[in-house]
Amino acid sequence: MKEFQYLLPHTVAEAVALKEKYDKAAVFMAGATDVVVRMRDYLLTPEYVIDLKAIPELGGITFSKEKGLHIGALATMNEICADENVKQYYPTLAKAAGSVGSKQVRNRATCIGNIVNASPLADTATPLYCYDAIVEIAGPNGTRELPITEFILFVRKVALERGEMVTGIRVPFKEAQGEFCKISRRDQVDLSTVCGTVLKIDGTYRVAMGSVAPQPRRLPKTEALLNGAPLTPERIEEAAQLATTEVSPIDDVRADKQYRLDMVAYIVRNALGKLA
Amino acid sequence: MKVVGTSVERLDAVKKVTGTAQFADDIQFSRPLFAQVKRSPYPHAKILRIDTSKAKALEGVRCVITGDYYKKRSGLYLEDKNFLAVGTAKFRGEPVAAVAAESKEIAEEACRLIEVEYEELPAVFDALEGMKPDAPLIHPDLHTYKVAPIFYPQKGTNISHHYVLRKGDPDKAFAEADRVFDNSFYIPHVQHVPIEPHACTAQYMPDGELTIWAACQSPFAVRRALAETFDFPLNKIRVISKAVGGGFGCKAGTTLEGIVIPLAMLCPGRPVKLTYTREDEFQYAYVRQGLHIRIQTAVRKDGKIIGSRNTLAWDGGAYTEYGVNIVKAAGWGCVGPYDIDNIATDSYCVYTNHPVGGPYRGFGMSEIHFAIEQNLDMVANEMDISPLDIRRINGIREGGISATGQKIEVAGYQECLERAAQLLEYDKPCEPSGSPTKLRGKGLAGGWKAPSMPTDVASSVIIRMNEDGTFVLLCSCHDMGQGSDTVMAQIAAETLTVDPSKITVRTGDTDHTPYEWQTVASRSTYCAGNATKLAAEDLRNKILEVAQIKLGTWKNDLYLEDGYVCRKFYPDMKVPMSTFALGLSLPDQSGIAGPMIGVGSFTVPNNIAADIKTGLSPKPVAFWTMGVNGAEVEVDTETGKIKVLKMVSVFDAGKVINPQMYEGQAEGAMVQAMGTALYEELKLDHGRVMNPSFVDYKIPTFDDMPELVVEAVEKAEPTGPYGARGIGEIVMVPGAPAIANAVANAIGCRFLRMPLTPDVVLAALREKNKKQ
Repeated sequence: MKEFQYLLPHTVAEAVALKEKYDKAAVFMAGATDVVVRMRDYLLTPEYVIDLKAIPELGGITFSKEKGLHIGALATMNEICADENVKQYYPTLAKAAGSVGSKQVRNRATCIGNIVNASPLADTATPLYCYDAIVEIAGPNGTRELPITEFILFVRKVALERGEMVTGIRVPFKEAQGEFCKISRRDQVDLSTVCGTVLKIDGTYRVAMGSVAPQPRRLPKTEALLNGAPLTPERIEEAAQLATTEVSPIDDVRADKQYRLDMVAYIVRNALGKLA
Repeated sequence: MKVVGTSVERLDAVKKVTGTAQFADDIQFSRPLFAQVKRSPYPHAKILRIDTSKAKALEGVRCVITGDYYKKRSGLYLEDKNFLAVGTAKFRGEPVAAVAAESKEIAEEACRLIEVEYEELPAVFDALEGMKPDAPLIHPDLHTYKVAPIFYPQKGTNISHHYVLRKGDPDKAFAEADRVFDNSFYIPHVQHVPIEPHACTAQYMPDGELTIWAACQSPFAVRRALAETFDFPLNKIRVISKAVGGGFGCKAGTTLEGIVIPLAMLCPGRPVKLTYTREDEFQYAYVRQGLHIRIQTAVRKDGKIIGSRNTLAWDGGAYTEYGVNIVKAAGWGCVGPYDIDNIATDSYCVYTNHPVGGPYRGFGMSEIHFAIEQNLDMVANEMDISPLDIRRINGIREGGISATGQKIEVAGYQECLERAAQLLEYDKPCEPSGSPTKLRGKGLAGGWKAPSMPTDVASSVIIRMNEDGTFVLLCSCHDMGQGSDTVMAQIAAETLTVDPSKITVRTGDTDHTPYEWQTVASRSTYCAGNATKLAAEDLRNKILEVAQIKLGTWKNDLYLEDGYVCRKFYPDMKVPMSTFALGLSLPDQSGIAGPMIGVGSFTVPNNIAADIKTGLSPKPVAFWTMGVNGAEVEVDTETGKIKVLKMVSVFDAGKVINPQMYEGQAEGAMVQAMGTALYEELKLDHGRVMNPSFVDYKIPTFDDMPELVVEAVEKAEPTGPYGARGIGEIVMVPGAPAIANAVANAIGCRFLRMPLTPDVVLAALREKNKKQ
C-alpha cells in the first residue's frame, strides 16, 4: 500500500472542503471494505484518505411511510438487514444487504459505499434501482439530489462533481411485492455472478439486474411487456427471454456470458412465478 | 490397550483455541530485515539485463541479489530449480531479484526500482503440447541435471520423468476382451490454501552458522536441500519449525527459504524475514499439478476387468524437482484398488511455463481416482452392471496383486465398500427433493494410497525420562494440524503404561530433535510411530535393567503397569518407574546407570525399488490404505448449482490410534475433496493466475458442509505400531469422484473435468436436452 495522509473531519462541511481541496488526490472512506482492498492492490493510490466515520450526522437509518426510508452514509449492511422497518417494508433490500460478503465485512461495509463504489455487481443496487431511490449529495455549492439510475454512470464512475460526497440515500415508500435474487458460486462470502430484483409496485412491474452490464440496469422493455397484460405462464417466459436481450454480460473467471444470460432469465421467471 | 484407540485430547488443543500457539511469522526478532521479491511478468523470458543500482541506492536497503549471486541448482529428487532465476524466467512470477531492507515498505519500493529487461520466449501452457517434439524447451540442459536414480529425464524434451509400467500382457487382454472402453479426463491445478501462508526467517552468523525458522513440514529434508544448494556442512545449518498452520504438502519442500538465505548471508547477524501473502501463496508456493489422463479398459462380459492401459501427462510447471515423485506414485497406484492382471501405464512429468507443481494431499491419487472411479461407473453403466457390483467384482482382496506386482496381504476394500453402501443406503432411491427442478443422486467411489517415499527412508525418536516419572519425547515428525504429536504421545504412553498427559512432545529443531526424513506420504503414524514405539521399548528395557537390581530378581520377571515396575509373581511388590529416572541409587548412596533415555530408529523393512523397464517391484511401498467414499447430491437444474447433502467415509485404517482425530481427518478430507469437485481451480491464462485470492478462488465454508458420516474398518497392519497404518491423505482421495458419480446419477451427465461449477453443469444439461 502506498503511503497516504489520514484525515478525520467531524462535519460534512469539513469533509467537503477537504475533498474540494485535494480533489482526485483524495478518497472518501467509510467501512473501508472496498477502499483498503483496492489500495492494498495499488488499484487506488490516494495521497489523502478522508475518513467519514467521525461525522455523526451521516449515521443511522430512519423510516416513515410519508418520507420513506433514509439510509445514512455510515449505516452498515448489518444495520440495514437487521432494521425492522427495512425488513418489513423493503425486504428485497434487507436480503440484498445481508448477502454482501461475510458477516464481518457487513459489520463495516456501508450501503452508500456499495453504491459509490459503482461496481456492476453491487448487491444493494438492484433493489434501490427498482424503488427509484434518490441519492443525496453534498458539495461546495450546497446539496442536490439525483435518481440512483442517473448516479451510477459506468464501472466505478459516478456523477459526483469536484468536492461532492454522498450523505445518504432516500428510498420512497411504496407497497411492493417481489424478490431479490443473488446467484453466486457459493452461498456465503461470495460476489454476485448475477443479481437481480423484480418488484410489483402499484400494479406495475420493475426489473433490475446487476453484473450483466457496465452498471446495474433497469430493463424497460421487459417492464413494458409485463405492464401490458396479465401475468400468464407464457407471458412470464416471454419476459424471461426478453430480459436477456436487455443485458450485455461478459465472460470472466466467475462465469461465462451464456450462464449469466441463463441466470437473468431464471431470476425473472422465478420471481414472476411467485408473483403470478 | 488403555491409551491407543481412545480419543485423547489433542496436545495442542488449548494453545490453538486460545491463539497462543507460535507460528513462524509470530516470532519476534531483534533488528530484523525484511525481504521482498522482484518477479518476472512473463511466463517464459530470457533475462537480458537487471539493473539494481537504484534499488541499492535507496535508503534503508541492505542488500539486493539476483540469480547471478547463487547459481547452483536445488531440488529434492531432481536438481532443476533455482530460487532466483538464472538466465531465463520459466513461469510468471518467478523471482528474478530479491531485496533485504529495514522495513517491508522500503523493500517493496526497492523492488519497484529494479529494472529488468527481458526477451520473451515461446512458452508451453499444456502438458500434451509440451510433450510434442517441436515444443519450446524449458530446460534445454535437463540431461545434465543431478537426479535421484529412480527418475528418468528425457534428453532434448520437456519430459523430466517417464515412468513405465508393464504387467502381464495387455495387448492380449485387449484382443480377448468382450468390451473395450476409452475415456479421457482432465484435472486442473488447485492450491492447498493452508490457513497459514509460508513464512521464513534466516539468520547467518559471522562464524558461519545459519539458522532458519520456517513453516515447514520436513525440517530435515529442508536442511539437507538447503545445505547442498548453499554449501553448508549439516552441523552449521539449523532448521526450526514452529507450529504449522496446515501444510497439505505445500510446506514439504523448499520454496521461499532459498530466497531469504542468500540475503541473510550478505547481512551477517541480521535476521531476514519473508512472509507470503495469500496472493503469493496461490502463485509462488506450490500448486497441485494439472493432469491429462486417458484410461483404456478391457472388460470381460461378466464385468471382470482384464486389461488396463493408462496414459498420464502431468503439468509439472516450471520446476519438477518434487513433482517427478508424484508422477511415479501415480504410476504405482494407476488402476486404483482393483486387481487387474494386465496393465500398461505411461506416466509423464512435463515441464510447462505454469506455477511450480508440488506435493498435495493424495500425492497424485486424488487426481487419478477422479478418472479411475468415474471410468468404473461409466463402464458399469454401459455394461448394465451396478457400480457397486463392478467394484465387488474387481475390488482387491487379500492375496490380490497390485499394479506393480505386490501381493496385498491386508485388504479391507470390500468391507469398506459394503459398509459405505449401507451407510449411504445405496440400494434405495434418494428421498424426493420436493421440487421438479432439484434432482438428487447417489454415488460411490473407492481409492487407495501408499506412502510414496524412497525405499530406505528413516525415522528416529528419543524419549527422556524426568525425575518425577514424566517424559519428554523428541521427534521431528511435524504436527501441522493432523495431530501427530498426540499420536506419538499415545503410542509412547501405551508402551510405558502411563497417562499421555505425562508425555510432552517436542519437535521441529534439527539441532535438538532427532532425524526424520519428512512429514509427508501419510507415513508418520507408521514410521515415526514405529520409531516412538521402539524408543519407548528401549526405555522400558533400560528401566527394567536397573529395576531388576533394586527388586532382587531378573528382568524377565518384571513388567510395567500404570507407571510402576511390577513383579509377575508378586504384583504387590511394585516400585514407581520414577525411582529409576536418574539410574539407581544403591543402599550405600552410590549410584549406577545414569538417566533413562530411550532411543528408537526405524527404517521401513524390505522395501525394494521398482524396475526401470517394467516398473514392477514385489514391495515398493510399506502398505496400501484403501477405502470408500459415498455422496448424495442435489442438483438445481435451473441454476446448475450442486449441493452435497451427505458424504460417508469408510476406510481400512488399521488400528485407529485416536478415533476423534481420525474422524477429524476424514471429515476435513471430505470437505476438501468437495472443494476440488465443486469450486476449486487455479484459472490459468497464458501462465497468468486469474484468481490468485479468495475473491475468485472458492473453498467450502461451514454453510456448505454436508452431513458427514465417518467409520473405520480396522484390519491391523502387521508391521505398524499397534497395528496402525497411515490415513491422512487417502481419506480425501475418493471424495471428488464420489460426488461426480452422484451428479451423474442425478442428472445423467458425466463430467470429465473438475470442477463441476454451475455454468458447466447448466451447459451439460442444455447439451443433453438438445440430444433428446
